[in-house]
Amino acid sequence: MIKTAGGLLLRALVVLSGTAILTFALLWNAPGDPAQAIAMARFDALLTDEVIDQVRAEVGLDRSFWQAFWAWLGPLLTLDFGNSAVTGRPVWPDLWASISYTFPLAFAALGIGLIISVPLAILATKRPGSLLDRFAVGLASIGNAIPAYWLGLILILIFAVKLAWLPALGASTPAHAILPALTLGLGVAASLTRIIRSGILEARGQPFLPAIRRRGVSDRSVGRDHVAPHAAIPVVTVFGLELAFLLEGLVLVEVIFGRPGLGTFLVQAILSRDFSHVQAVVVLTALVFVVVNLVIDLIYRVIDPRIGESNA
Amino acid sequence: MRSVALLVIALVLLAGVGPMLAPYDPTVINIPKRLSGPSAEFLLGTDALGRDILSRLLHGARWSLGLAFVISVISMIIGTTIGLAAALGGRLADWVAMRTTDTFLAFPELVAAIVIAGLMGAGTWSLIFALSVTGWMRYARVARGIGLSVQSRGYVVQARLAGLPSWSIARWHYLPSLIPSLTVVWTGMFARAILGISALGFLGFGVQPPNPEWGSMLLDARVHLRSTPLQMIWPGLAVVICVLAINLAGDALRDALAQQDAPE
Repeated sequence: MIKTAGGLLLRALVVLSGTAILTFALLWNAPGDPAQAIAMARFDALLTDEVIDQVRAEVGLDRSFWQAFWAWLGPLLTLDFGNSAVTGRPVWPDLWASISYTFPLAFAALGIGLIISVPLAILATKRPGSLLDRFAVGLASIGNAIPAYWLGLILILIFAVKLAWLPALGASTPAHAILPALTLGLGVAASLTRIIRSGILEARGQPFLPAIRRRGVSDRSVGRDHVAPHAAIPVVTVFGLELAFLLEGLVLVEVIFGRPGLGTFLVQAILSRDFSHVQAVVVLTALVFVVVNLVIDLIYRVIDPRIGESNA
Repeated sequence: MRSVALLVIALVLLAGVGPMLAPYDPTVINIPKRLSGPSAEFLLGTDALGRDILSRLLHGARWSLGLAFVISVISMIIGTTIGLAAALGGRLADWVAMRTTDTFLAFPELVAAIVIAGLMGAGTWSLIFALSVTGWMRYARVARGIGLSVQSRGYVVQARLAGLPSWSIARWHYLPSLIPSLTVVWTGMFARAILGISALGFLGFGVQPPNPEWGSMLLDARVHLRSTPLQMIWPGLAVVICVLAINLAGDALRDALAQQDAPE
């Protein structure tokens, strides 16, 4: 167990450093003059070459690739993201402020997704192939095909424009979070329904279930103690993918609803070529996903001991 | 299987013939007729510059489906090459290839594509590049997995003993057994590419105006949500129908292949 954990940790470190180098290389080699873009974002006026060169020296763009890379990586190892190239303010407080908008939204969306998908999948698998089952599968297939930004616009059209029940733009009150959370949550529900449904069906087909039933174990206990844990394995496995899906949706949904979260932060940073902001978001995202995948790997070795055996 | 074939024909027709059916030039600006609702003259109405929405939608099929095809094929080539290199190239090559795959997989694909396309500067080439380099990992995993399982089969061992070079073994002995699974992965990635293209278009990082692409049409329509809400429905509906159809075809294909393998 400790050996596997060590191996996984090493793998996580490789992945993280790979991401850091790739991001930096991408930023460094992006076409166009970043100094000019930063100067534009700062002063928003006609610029002389002098001003641009001044910005270049100040931000450190006149150094060589590796010099700049180490100058960035050193402080990063102590979780210091440096200062914004555009505003000059430290990155972390601004980044944290945007995360504080994104986090509750992501949790609400996951919650909505689970509240819809778990009962739907359980009801659907009561009788596989029944009308209800086919309805659930159909709904999930359609849900998977709907892009988050389009669903968001439709919800705005119905609930904010036509019915005028809910606010659409901004993030000033909790009510502003309802439509974005619903947009993301419905998407999460669609993909989770499929996964949980096939998880339950596969768990039902396990050869040990008839043996347990014959011993006189009640249907209720079979479902709770044997089918449910088994069906949980694929759900845990895809949790990382689900989180990725959620983040992809978040970027677009925040832009649509004008919420000042992580997605808006990223898009703004890309447009203004704010190197340190882009790097901070990318590294933080990679860190979160590496940790999540590490935890998932460990968790499902614990809930399904067979995985450790076959890999060893 | 028949439904899959029908669907492929339908999509090829949509991208191939669709633009010819368009009643107007999709880029011609007609300000006096701007933001008009559906009428006999403009079946789905016009956008903010007075361009015919139906024509833009039909031409958009070529952009969205054509680009998605190009992107999903490029990423298939990248992924299959990396996966086969991992399976055939020995332990070091395997380690490097799989850790690279992990690195790319560790990051949400669309977010990576947004960063790449955004930094490279908006445009069709950046779009193709961004979505291709973030879309090859599933192919690589599948190619490597099947590659490793084929390794011990008689005909591969024989080819190796006969002294054939690795690339030739990969081409003639591995690739044929890869094709069914790669096709299933491809349908999924084709659908994802359509979603990715329209997402980048919607953020303004993808296909640039005046070209009619479904995502950028949504971006245009968003501003006029209050006055002409229908304008926003069509491009989204087009994306949903295509993605849904491709996903269903992919499911059918996977089931058909699973049935074929079952008796063995």
